[in-house]
Amino acid sequence: MNIKKKNVESEIFTGSMADISFLLIIYFMLTSVMSATRGLDFELPKDSSQTPEIKQEDSIDVHIMANGALQVDGKQMSIDEVLPYIKKVLKQNPDKPVILRTDPNATYGDMVNVFDLLRQAPEKIGMPIKTISIPTQREIQNVWALFGVH
Amino acid sequence: MAIIRGRDRRIGAGIFTASMADIVFLLIVFFVITYNVEVDRTQVVLPKTMIRHNIPKEAAFVSIDKAGVVRVSSGKEMSLPVGSDEEVQSFAANVVAANPYKEFVIKADKGVKYEAFDHVLDALKQAKVRVIYLLSEQKTVNDTQ
Repeated sequence: MNIKKKNVESEIFTGSMADISFLLIIYFMLTSVMSATRGLDFELPKDSSQTPEIKQEDSIDVHIMANGALQVDGKQMSIDEVLPYIKKVLKQNPDKPVILRTDPNATYGDMVNVFDLLRQAPEKIGMPIKTISIPTQREIQNVWALFGVH
Repeated sequence: MAIIRGRDRRIGAGIFTASMADIVFLLIVFFVITYNVEVDRTQVVLPKTMIRHNIPKEAAFVSIDKAGVVRVSSGKEMSLPVGSDEEVQSFAANVVAANPYKEFVIKADKGVKYEAFDHVLDALKQAKVRVIYLLSEQKTVNDTQ
Protein backbone atom coordinates (compact mmCIF):
# COMPACT_ATOMS: atom_id res chain seq x y z
CA MET A 1 0.00 0.00 0.00
CA ASN A 2 1.33 3.36 -0.88
CA ILE A 3 1.26 5.92 1.89
CA LYS A 4 1.39 9.51 0.78
CA LYS A 5 3.43 11.78 2.95
CA LYS A 6 1.83 15.11 3.64
CA ASN A 7 4.36 17.91 3.81
CA VAL A 8 3.22 20.35 6.49
CA GLU A 9 5.09 23.64 6.30
CA SER A 10 6.31 24.89 9.67
CA GLU A 11 5.38 28.48 10.41
CA ILE A 12 4.64 30.75 13.32
CA PHE A 13 1.10 31.99 13.51
CA THR A 14 1.25 35.78 13.61
CA GLY A 15 -2.40 36.57 13.19
CA SER A 16 -2.86 37.64 16.82
CA MET A 17 0.36 39.71 16.94
CA ALA A 18 -1.43 42.93 16.02
CA ASP A 19 -4.01 42.41 18.78
CA ILE A 20 -1.31 41.77 21.37
CA SER A 21 0.68 44.80 20.20
CA PHE A 22 -2.36 47.05 20.47
CA LEU A 23 -3.14 45.74 23.93
CA LEU A 24 0.44 46.51 24.99
CA ILE A 25 0.21 50.03 23.58
CA ILE A 26 -3.06 50.67 25.39
CA TYR A 27 -1.52 49.35 28.63
CA PHE A 28 1.54 51.62 28.35
CA MET A 29 -0.56 54.63 27.41
CA LEU A 30 -2.82 54.19 30.41
CA THR A 31 -0.11 53.47 32.97
CA SER A 32 2.60 55.89 31.87
CA VAL A 33 2.36 59.31 33.44
CA MET A 34 4.14 62.41 32.25
CA SER A 35 5.87 63.11 35.52
CA ALA A 36 8.44 65.72 36.54
CA THR A 37 11.80 64.01 36.98
CA ARG A 38 14.02 66.98 37.67
CA GLY A 39 14.61 69.33 40.51
CA LEU A 40 16.90 71.53 42.56
CA ASP A 41 19.51 69.55 44.44
CA PHE A 42 21.32 70.36 47.62
CA GLU A 43 23.71 68.48 49.84
CA LEU A 44 23.19 68.34 53.55
CA PRO A 45 26.04 68.66 56.04
CA LYS A 46 27.58 65.26 56.69
CA ASP A 47 27.08 65.44 60.43
CA SER A 48 23.99 67.44 61.27
CA SER A 49 24.27 66.65 64.99
CA GLN A 50 26.97 69.29 65.19
CA THR A 51 25.22 72.62 65.27
CA PRO A 52 26.90 74.90 62.74
CA GLU A 53 28.34 78.06 64.13
CA ILE A 54 26.40 80.87 62.57
CA LYS A 55 27.78 84.31 63.11
CA GLN A 56 25.84 87.04 61.41
CA GLU A 57 28.95 89.06 60.56
CA ASP A 58 30.53 85.99 58.91
CA SER A 59 27.62 85.25 56.63
CA ILE A 60 25.01 86.79 54.40
CA ASP A 61 21.63 86.42 56.04
CA VAL A 62 18.74 86.13 53.59
CA HIS A 63 15.44 86.13 55.44
CA ILE A 64 12.12 85.42 53.74
CA MET A 65 9.29 87.03 55.69
CA ALA A 66 5.81 85.57 56.17
CA ASN A 67 4.40 87.68 53.32
CA GLY A 68 7.22 86.63 50.97
CA ALA A 69 9.16 89.91 51.33
CA LEU A 70 12.93 89.68 51.60
CA GLN A 71 15.41 91.03 54.12
CA VAL A 72 19.10 90.65 53.38
CA ASP A 73 21.40 91.38 56.31
CA GLY A 74 18.49 93.18 57.94
CA LYS A 75 17.76 95.41 54.93
CA GLN A 76 14.47 95.18 53.03
CA MET A 77 15.15 94.28 49.39
CA SER A 78 13.30 93.27 46.27
CA ILE A 79 14.26 89.95 44.69
CA ASP A 80 16.13 91.76 41.88
CA GLU A 81 18.37 93.56 44.38
CA VAL A 82 19.54 90.42 46.17
CA LEU A 83 22.21 89.13 43.78
CA PRO A 84 23.84 92.56 43.14
CA TYR A 85 24.10 93.02 46.93
CA ILE A 86 25.57 89.52 47.36
CA LYS A 87 28.06 90.24 44.55
CA LYS A 88 29.24 93.35 46.40
CA VAL A 89 29.76 91.35 49.60
CA LEU A 90 31.41 88.37 47.88
CA LYS A 91 33.94 90.66 46.18
CA GLN A 92 35.32 91.43 49.64
CA ASN A 93 35.06 87.84 50.88
CA PRO A 94 34.28 85.17 48.24
CA ASP A 95 33.99 82.43 50.88
CA LYS A 96 31.11 84.05 52.76
CA PRO A 97 28.24 81.58 53.13
CA VAL A 98 24.64 82.54 52.54
CA ILE A 99 22.11 81.50 55.14
CA LEU A 100 18.59 81.20 53.82
CA ARG A 101 16.06 81.54 56.62
CA THR A 102 12.37 81.31 55.92
CA ASP A 103 9.50 82.32 58.17
CA PRO A 104 7.35 79.27 59.02
CA ASN A 105 4.28 81.12 57.70
CA ALA A 106 5.83 81.86 54.30
CA THR A 107 5.19 79.39 51.52
CA TYR A 108 7.49 76.66 50.28
CA GLY A 109 7.29 78.26 46.82
CA ASP A 110 8.78 81.51 48.19
CA MET A 111 11.80 79.62 49.54
CA VAL A 112 12.36 77.64 46.33
CA ASN A 113 12.13 80.86 44.32
CA VAL A 114 14.92 82.51 46.33
CA PHE A 115 17.02 79.33 46.53
CA ASP A 116 16.81 78.98 42.75
CA LEU A 117 17.93 82.61 42.39
CA LEU A 118 20.93 82.06 44.68
CA ARG A 119 21.91 78.95 42.68
CA GLN A 120 21.93 81.06 39.52
CA ALA A 121 24.66 83.34 40.94
CA PRO A 122 27.46 82.02 38.64
CA GLU A 123 25.45 82.92 35.52
CA LYS A 124 23.90 86.15 36.82
CA ILE A 125 26.74 87.79 38.77
CA GLY A 126 29.72 85.76 37.56
CA MET A 127 30.59 84.51 41.04
CA PRO A 128 29.47 81.29 42.69
CA ILE A 129 28.06 81.25 46.19
CA LYS A 130 30.20 78.53 47.75
CA THR A 131 27.85 77.64 50.57
CA ILE A 132 24.10 78.07 50.76
CA SER A 133 22.76 76.85 54.06
CA ILE A 134 19.08 76.22 54.77
CA PRO A 135 18.85 75.84 58.54
CA THR A 136 15.73 74.33 60.04
CA GLN A 137 13.77 76.05 62.83
CA ARG A 138 15.26 73.58 65.30
CA GLU A 139 18.82 74.52 64.26
CA ILE A 140 18.00 78.24 64.43
CA GLN A 141 16.54 77.81 67.92
CA ASN A 142 19.65 75.86 68.98
CA VAL A 143 21.83 78.75 67.83
CA TRP A 144 19.69 81.29 69.65
CA ALA A 145 19.89 79.08 72.74
CA LEU A 146 23.69 79.21 72.50
CA PHE A 147 23.46 82.99 72.74
CA GLY A 148 20.98 82.74 75.59
CA VAL A 149 18.00 83.99 73.56
CA HIS A 150 14.75 82.03 74.01
CA MET B 1 -3.82 46.62 -32.14
CA ALA B 2 -6.54 44.96 -30.25
CA ILE B 3 -8.48 47.14 -27.87
CA ILE B 4 -10.71 45.40 -25.43
CA ARG B 5 -13.75 47.51 -25.02
CA GLY B 6 -16.35 47.38 -22.34
CA ARG B 7 -14.02 45.80 -19.79
CA ASP B 8 -13.24 48.25 -16.95
CA ARG B 9 -10.64 47.48 -14.41
CA ARG B 10 -12.04 47.61 -10.87
CA ILE B 11 -9.60 48.40 -8.11
CA GLY B 12 -10.92 47.49 -4.70
CA ALA B 13 -10.77 50.28 -2.08
CA GLY B 14 -8.58 49.38 0.86
CA ILE B 15 -6.30 50.81 3.52
CA PHE B 16 -2.67 49.83 3.26
CA THR B 17 -1.85 48.15 6.55
CA ALA B 18 1.48 46.53 5.88
CA SER B 19 3.40 49.21 7.81
CA MET B 20 1.03 49.10 10.78
CA ALA B 21 3.04 46.41 12.56
CA ASP B 22 6.23 48.51 12.23
CA ILE B 23 4.51 51.60 13.63
CA VAL B 24 3.01 49.63 16.49
CA PHE B 25 6.38 48.13 17.38
CA LEU B 26 8.02 51.55 17.27
CA LEU B 27 5.36 52.86 19.65
CA ILE B 28 5.87 49.92 21.99
CA VAL B 29 9.65 50.46 22.01
CA PHE B 30 9.07 54.18 22.75
CA PHE B 31 6.78 53.41 25.68
CA VAL B 32 9.09 50.71 27.06
CA ILE B 33 12.05 53.12 27.02
CA THR B 34 10.21 56.10 28.46
CA TYR B 35 8.12 54.13 30.93
CA ASN B 36 8.53 55.38 34.47
CA VAL B 37 7.00 53.77 37.47
CA GLU B 38 5.66 56.74 39.39
CA VAL B 39 5.82 55.78 43.04
CA ASP B 40 4.03 58.90 44.22
CA ARG B 41 0.94 60.23 42.54
CA THR B 42 0.14 63.01 44.98
CA GLN B 43 -1.42 65.91 43.09
CA VAL B 44 0.68 68.98 43.76
CA VAL B 45 1.45 72.27 42.02
CA LEU B 46 5.24 72.20 41.80
CA PRO B 47 7.33 75.36 42.08
CA LYS B 48 9.14 76.45 38.94
CA THR B 49 12.92 76.76 38.85
CA MET B 50 15.61 77.58 36.30
CA ILE B 51 18.15 75.18 37.82
CA ARG B 52 17.02 71.58 37.43
CA HIS B 53 19.00 68.37 37.70
CA ASN B 54 17.94 64.85 36.84
CA ILE B 55 16.63 62.91 39.77
CA PRO B 56 18.24 59.48 40.14
CA LYS B 57 16.00 56.51 39.45
CA GLU B 58 14.57 54.83 42.53
CA ALA B 59 15.27 57.83 44.77
CA ALA B 60 13.18 57.88 47.93
CA PHE B 61 10.19 60.21 47.87
CA VAL B 62 8.63 62.44 50.48
CA SER B 63 5.61 64.35 49.23
CA ILE B 64 3.68 67.13 50.93
CA ASP B 65 0.33 68.10 49.46
CA LYS B 66 -1.37 71.46 49.91
CA ALA B 67 -3.22 70.27 53.01
CA GLY B 68 0.12 69.32 54.59
CA VAL B 69 -0.38 65.54 54.33
CA VAL B 70 3.02 63.83 54.11
CA ARG B 71 3.55 60.62 52.13
CA VAL B 72 6.73 58.57 51.90
CA SER B 73 8.12 55.98 49.53
CA SER B 74 11.49 54.26 49.43
CA GLY B 75 11.38 54.49 45.64
CA LYS B 76 10.31 50.91 45.04
CA GLU B 77 6.75 50.80 46.29
CA MET B 78 3.83 53.23 46.16
CA SER B 79 3.90 56.05 48.69
CA LEU B 80 2.02 55.78 51.97
CA PRO B 81 0.81 58.56 54.26
CA VAL B 82 2.57 59.11 57.57
CA GLY B 83 1.11 60.69 60.66
CA SER B 84 4.02 62.45 62.35
CA ASP B 85 7.49 63.89 61.82
CA GLU B 86 8.92 61.03 63.90
CA GLU B 87 7.52 58.56 61.37
CA VAL B 88 9.22 60.47 58.54
CA GLN B 89 12.48 60.39 60.47
CA SER B 90 12.28 56.66 61.24
CA PHE B 91 11.36 55.90 57.61
CA ALA B 92 14.32 57.96 56.38
CA ALA B 93 16.65 56.39 58.95
CA ASN B 94 15.65 52.90 57.74
CA VAL B 95 16.25 53.87 54.11
CA VAL B 96 19.63 55.43 54.94
CA ALA B 97 20.60 52.38 57.01
CA ALA B 98 20.02 50.20 53.94
CA ASN B 99 21.80 52.61 51.60
CA PRO B 100 23.69 55.57 53.11
CA TYR B 101 23.98 57.26 49.70
CA LYS B 102 20.27 57.08 48.87
CA GLU B 103 18.97 60.33 47.43
CA PHE B 104 15.70 61.78 48.67
CA VAL B 105 13.21 63.79 46.65
CA ILE B 106 10.88 66.26 48.29
CA LYS B 107 7.77 66.78 46.20
CA ALA B 108 5.88 69.61 47.82
CA ASP B 109 3.09 71.90 46.72
CA LYS B 110 4.40 75.42 46.16
CA GLY B 111 1.56 76.83 48.24
CA VAL B 112 2.19 74.69 51.30
CA LYS B 113 3.34 76.49 54.44
CA TYR B 114 7.12 76.46 54.86
CA GLU B 115 6.64 75.04 58.35
CA ALA B 116 5.50 71.70 56.87
CA PHE B 117 8.58 71.56 54.63
CA ASP B 118 10.80 72.58 57.55
CA HIS B 119 9.60 69.63 59.63
CA VAL B 120 10.31 67.19 56.79
CA LEU B 121 13.74 68.74 56.15
CA ASP B 122 14.56 68.50 59.85
CA ALA B 123 13.51 64.83 59.93
CA LEU B 124 15.72 64.06 56.91
CA LYS B 125 18.66 65.93 58.46
CA GLN B 126 18.22 63.98 61.69
CA ALA B 127 18.19 60.74 59.68
CA LYS B 128 21.55 61.75 58.10
CA VAL B 129 20.27 61.98 54.55
CA ARG B 130 23.04 63.31 52.30
CA VAL B 131 21.43 64.63 49.14
CA ILE B 132 17.97 66.07 48.68
CA TYR B 133 16.24 67.08 45.46
CA LEU B 134 13.40 69.57 45.46
CA LEU B 135 11.13 68.46 42.63
CA SER B 136 10.28 71.34 40.33
CA GLU B 137 9.03 72.27 36.91
CA GLN B 138 10.96 74.27 34.34
CA LYS B 139 10.75 78.01 34.75
CA THR B 140 10.54 79.80 31.43
CA VAL B 141 11.28 83.38 30.43
CA ASN B 142 7.54 84.10 30.54
CA ASP B 143 7.41 83.02 34.19
CA THR B 144 10.06 85.53 35.20
CA GLN B 145 8.28 88.46 33.58
